[in-house]
Amino acid sequence: MLTLIVFLPLVAAAVCALLPKQQPTWPRWVAAVFAAVDLALVGYVIATFDRAQTAPQFVEKFAWVPMVNINYYLGVDGISLPILFLSALLTLLAVIGSWKIDKKPAFYFSMLMLLQVGMNGVFLALDFVLFYVFWELVLVPMYFLIAQWGGERREYASIKFFLYTLLGSVFMLVGVVALYLKTGSFDIMWLQSHAGPMLSSGVQWWLFLAFFLGFAVKVPVWPLHTWLPDAHVEAPTAASVILAGVLLKMGTYGFMRVSLPILPSGFHQWQIALAVLAMISIVYGAAVAFAQTDLKKLVAYSSVSHMGFAMLGIASGTAIGLNGAMAVNFSHGLTTGMLFFMVGMVYDRAHTREIAKLSGLAGQMPVIAGLMAFASFASMGLPGLSGFIGEFLSLLGAWGAWGNSHMAWLVGISALGVLFGACYILWMLQRVVLGQPSYVIADLPDISVREIVVAAPLVVLTVAVGLNWNLLLGYVDPAVRVLEKAVGV
Amino acid sequence: MSGYLLILPEILLVVGALWALFAEILPGGDRGSAWLGAALSAAAAVLSALQGVGGTSPFGSLLVFDGSARLARVAIAVLTTVWLLWTAGRGKGRVREAVSLAFFTAVGAMFMAETRDLITLLVAVELSTVPGYVLIGYRRGDIRGLEGALKYFLLSMLTSLVMLYGFSFLYGLTGTTHYDGLDVSSAGALGVLALLLSLVGMFAKLSAAPFHFWTPDAYAGSDPWAVAFVSTVPKVAGGVAIVRLVAAVVPSVATGGVVLLVIAGVSVVLGNLGARTQTDVRRLMAYSGVAHTGYLLLGVSALSDKGFIAAIFYAVAYAAPSMGVMLVAAEEGSRLDAFNGMAQRRPAAAWGVVVLLLSLIGIPPLAGFFGKFSLFAAALAHSGPSYSAMVVIAVAMSVVSAAYYLRIVRAMFFAEPAEEPEALTRSVPAAAALAICVLAVFAVGIAAGPVFSGLATLGR
Repeated sequence: MLTLIVFLPLVAAAVCALLPKQQPTWPRWVAAVFAAVDLALVGYVIATFDRAQTAPQFVEKFAWVPMVNINYYLGVDGISLPILFLSALLTLLAVIGSWKIDKKPAFYFSMLMLLQVGMNGVFLALDFVLFYVFWELVLVPMYFLIAQWGGERREYASIKFFLYTLLGSVFMLVGVVALYLKTGSFDIMWLQSHAGPMLSSGVQWWLFLAFFLGFAVKVPVWPLHTWLPDAHVEAPTAASVILAGVLLKMGTYGFMRVSLPILPSGFHQWQIALAVLAMISIVYGAAVAFAQTDLKKLVAYSSVSHMGFAMLGIASGTAIGLNGAMAVNFSHGLTTGMLFFMVGMVYDRAHTREIAKLSGLAGQMPVIAGLMAFASFASMGLPGLSGFIGEFLSLLGAWGAWGNSHMAWLVGISALGVLFGACYILWMLQRVVLGQPSYVIADLPDISVREIVVAAPLVVLTVAVGLNWNLLLGYVDPAVRVLEKAVGV
Repeated sequence: MSGYLLILPEILLVVGALWALFAEILPGGDRGSAWLGAALSAAAAVLSALQGVGGTSPFGSLLVFDGSARLARVAIAVLTTVWLLWTAGRGKGRVREAVSLAFFTAVGAMFMAETRDLITLLVAVELSTVPGYVLIGYRRGDIRGLEGALKYFLLSMLTSLVMLYGFSFLYGLTGTTHYDGLDVSSAGALGVLALLLSLVGMFAKLSAAPFHFWTPDAYAGSDPWAVAFVSTVPKVAGGVAIVRLVAAVVPSVATGGVVLLVIAGVSVVLGNLGARTQTDVRRLMAYSGVAHTGYLLLGVSALSDKGFIAAIFYAVAYAAPSMGVMLVAAEEGSRLDAFNGMAQRRPAAAWGVVVLLLSLIGIPPLAGFFGKFSLFAAALAHSGPSYSAMVVIAVAMSVVSAAYYLRIVRAMFFAEPAEEPEALTRSVPAAAALAICVLAVFAVGIAAGPVFSGLATLGR
């Protein structure tokens, strides 16, 4: 089942690449059908998933390189399931959202499908080598997506993205190898229950650092975030959506799957540093978002800020904070994905993303403006929408960890980030959505049916999860309680 | 007699070499000799693969036929097949001597990978490098080619002599040329000197820093078609040969591992930094070859079986993509901007090159990844902070390598050609040659388990 979910898009990628060039509309249909089937399979997994059980489910395991104990090992649990769903959903929406791609569509859609192979694989792999294989696989299609279909500085942005993340992940590879040499296993599940006591705290300090470099670049945590604005701004809309919606989650997922449970002592030594970096990411991302004149760049920097909340929740090491981190992951995938779609729709019409040039969207294209406002509210954490849960629980978890100590200031400053978030979002809305319609958007059409299809599922989920937290946390909570125990704060 | 059965693959290659020498008066002519050669070396590859491991050591145990020898012979024969297929498809003009020279190089390379004796090693090294000088300067009309050939010749000769000088000390100290007796632990400084002189020769053959300066110049003056062969086949053999020599001598010298580690680190850093700014694919691959030799030596320097095996695996994992990329350079032109727009002209070949380059970077699940993975594992397993530090440098440098390999990708996919290059005629054998390289990179990666267990028997 899980193998099918991972490798079905690979078939789609091959089919797309081999379709006759005379039929430019075929690849998008192939990609859409395969992505829909993949989403349906994930839906089946969700429907039959046993929430009470904390061990990985739908497990598939057999030997790959028996000599050094490498297995082909897939499984899903409460931490990976929501992000897997996000990956399948956003890929389908990205395909529909890029329906109008006319430059080398076969190449484009096969890259999008290949990207999904990597993403699904990362979230399902429970063997380190397999995990690393998928982790690196993600780089290649994303590189091509940015470099081929990106904006003006696409070559610079794509290379920067590739090298930055590769630099992070090679250090992770060193960590993987070192961990294997110390324990003799690549099995993530086995390591979660056995590695902690086997490793001295000095060793864990180094290993945590190695994994930190790999994961923190992806999240991204300040000061390793500088690839993100370039990649996001230059990437085509669908790639931005997936980059923000899924790829960044690979980082936080890595912390929750690997760093915390396998290296608890390393985590304790780095905990304060993590929290401080998270706090800086929150405030710095928000402050820089303030200053942006490009709509897409503003959304990109807001990602740095939001993912800071996820990191804060993770750094707290408490079940509440980890629930919050997962909620930020999930909600950020929905809302930022939606914001990137909206920015893309505006750009497709007006051919500019300059905030100064855009104004009065509400007058000219009310539906797009409304959806943009909706996504913005959800993103800044309005109660009742999904963004609120994550920020609230992350802060609550952080307060639980440090509220009664001399580190309480850290939580306080982070909480100010929520306020900053509201400021830059509302100011952006005021400038872009309200006011007199500017000449650049004069006579431009409002949303199309296809675009409504893209936005609708995101809106529905944002509201549904926002109103009924249990829809998401029901899956997450049992898993993070186990994690909390493993970390042992 | 059974000894000759064991070296049947080598005999097949010699037959191919002789046939090619007389191709003028034999049926088939130049192209025919390449076709026949491809068939013969393919047969040699199959024979080598089927051969059992271990058993007797024929010829007064000068040669061993263990797992490493088997892998190296298969790789050498397959690479030779690839090169001859390409030559049969796209070779220009008079190629018969080139075919013959390539065969002699391959025979020398095979013996180099099998021998455990200093004198046989020297003969094998000469047999595999002397035809290389001629191949480098094969296009006689090209002055730069002759310059490259001359540089290669002079440096190679010099280092051979240094190596032989070292061997003479080893013989003087131990009274034997066979690896089993080469224990110089009681010889003190003289032992270290003998070891250094012997290894310097091997370092230069493998173009490890700081003995690497000849390679970029020699390659840049030469037809990429010749570079494809000279830069890969002898390197596979050299990897095995240095592993055997080090395994025999170095453990008896206290500072041996450190020397290797330093050479490895310098090669990785200088090679990768040197390749960064090149605009000629031959020079770029020459410098990156220096870096890859450094990675290989990193495994050797761990002085453990795991490190030795990883180094041999890596030599093979490096050679296959390198051969493919150089053959494409022979088709497209060796300047980096000659690759511009290749993805439009030949999408399948361009994607093939992408796979080869990703393997050189070390992206899983390709061969290069498992090579680097096992090298780093071997080096980290060595207790010593200097080894761990070197691994960190090596992985950081592999990111630098990604930067310059991606420049080739960028040229192929995103750069516009300055002028429309003349259309390349289709050639099935040349396409097959590239396809074999790409498939090998995939297959060796995904089947890394069986390949490694096949290597597990390293003859001592």
